[in-house]
Amino acid sequence: MPEPFTPPRLSDALTAPALWDPTLPEILASLASRLDALPVSRQPRRPFRIIDHTVRAALDPHGPGTDTPFVWSAITARRALGLSAVRHLVDGRARTPVEAVQMAVAEVTGRGLSGAGGAGGRPPEGPMGRWLVRLTDTARTAVTAETVTWATRLWVGLDWSVFTTPPTIGRDRWWDSPRTALLALRSRAEVRTVVPCAAAPGAPPDPGARSPEVASTHLVVLSGPRRPSARAELCLVALVEALLVPATAPPGRVIGWWPDSGHAIRVEVDRAALEEGVRAVAAALAGPGGATKAPRPAAAA
Amino acid sequence: MRTGGGGASTVSRDDRRAPRDELLARLRAGSGNRPRVSPSLAGGLRAWLEDAAAELVIARGEGAPPLFLGPRLVEAALPRPPEPRHRPVPTSIDTALSCLVHVVFRHVASIGPSLVAPSLDPGDVGRRRGALLDHALAALSVDPARGDVVALVHSFDDGQRRELAEALHTHVEHLCRLTPQFVPSWLPRTDDRVSIPLAGGRIMLTGVFDLLVGAPVPDTATVCALGVSAGGRWQELRAGLHYLALLETLRTGCPPFRLALIHSGVGRYDVEDVRSSHLVAMTEHVATVLGAMAGRGA
Repeated sequence: MPEPFTPPRLSDALTAPALWDPTLPEILASLASRLDALPVSRQPRRPFRIIDHTVRAALDPHGPGTDTPFVWSAITARRALGLSAVRHLVDGRARTPVEAVQMAVAEVTGRGLSGAGGAGGRPPEGPMGRWLVRLTDTARTAVTAETVTWATRLWVGLDWSVFTTPPTIGRDRWWDSPRTALLALRSRAEVRTVVPCAAAPGAPPDPGARSPEVASTHLVVLSGPRRPSARAELCLVALVEALLVPATAPPGRVIGWWPDSGHAIRVEVDRAALEEGVRAVAAALAGPGGATKAPRPAAAA
Repeated sequence: MRTGGGGASTVSRDDRRAPRDELLARLRAGSGNRPRVSPSLAGGLRAWLEDAAAELVIARGEGAPPLFLGPRLVEAALPRPPEPRHRPVPTSIDTALSCLVHVVFRHVASIGPSLVAPSLDPGDVGRRRGALLDHALAALSVDPARGDVVALVHSFDDGQRRELAEALHTHVEHLCRLTPQFVPSWLPRTDDRVSIPLAGGRIMLTGVFDLLVGAPVPDTATVCALGVSAGGRWQELRAGLHYLALLETLRTGCPPFRLALIHSGVGRYDVEDVRSSHLVAMTEHVATVLGAMAGRGA
């Protein structure tokens, strides 16, 4: 029975040394060509972007569809604003989540912390900034409140003192296929760091001595219920990170964490994980139609 | 669980200390001596629930979709048959009022009453109450899941709208008087969702804390929770908070230290400690309900 991941345990899991699978270089070298061999049949005239949501829609029989149009809301804005706020907290520029979120909102809206626009104000940044500026003060406060909750959960969810180097907070990474413009994969993680790398116990000797000194680890904040596709969603992150080597450190571990339940799942990046990542991409390229949808979840109380 | 500070309190204009300060003082009393929690408490409660959930999963069949069970689980001895997951369409002023009260509470708890307080001042009462309703609707509109409520209010005729605005004004007056101002360093957060999977996620116990304060600390009860309700029976509302306390115990391994409940309709509040005996009682209740559902093949 899994125990809840309290802050020390989650931080320890993220910063523990990674174990290097000596067979990884072989599969790393073949990953791109294996992806190129996958049929990109859906929407052939547009780049096909595979993200965690696409994988979930393809693999989770009770999961979401892909046809819901995006609209800005407190829910869809909270992650971007919340990550900016947590960066402010980790950097020491803000002392509390409330202050940090107000700074984040001020940055994207171009308004001062008081919320006042006008003199000295910058134009709002991007679509989210323009949406926020159009809101009334009370509506913007509702967005702020939602973001404060999101940011506070991440802020108290980790023991930030264990990081020996500042972690990377909220930088999504993309891998674009060099062979075709039709395929791009996203690695979404809220917190990334690098950890020492050690040979896995019992691993065969590595005569080439190619094991890296460090590997990257990634914390992914998950929402919604625990689902069968969760591991595949994390393996997509591992796959993208592997494809980006040597520009980035090779992936060592990906942790998915549900703040709603306090539980986490952990994927050590090995041959099996990368193979699962490739299978997840193949399933996503097949689209939600490739999997039989089960009835929607029920609610009784 | 014991009731702290002499039981429930009803707001009186004659109170010497502002009610929100009194509520805060009762919430904080003894905060330097947070109780330690047995590391085995959550595991034992979960094992009990897992046994009951396993029976229900067998009764429903392995291929059944996940079943989401919320706070209404504690309101009746036997739950109603499963309903569609989507939110029922609100059909009354009371339903709209409940959503509007919660969104205003969130506002007041987050930044204080500064934006809504002018709506409470004397003067052109009708116009101010209308403005308060507009403020609340604007805040509600950034949550697409509440679009049905916003549409419902917009469909009201002038009389219904005036009735809603007057009721909201009364509730917000109580909220502004009762809601403490929490220092940001106490990490106040609103609408904190809890979702506890049982039987590998086939049964989900869900709930939302209106307000949580404090950072979780391993093996120590440190968090305080505050619930707000616009209506309902007091004992059921208390039981709903106890249910949330159980979910928090399962989520972090520690129950909340203390609970506060505000009834915005009558301006009543109470504060009580969380005790393990109440967690056990709530676990037994939930297990009984799950067992009853299994017996009915729900």
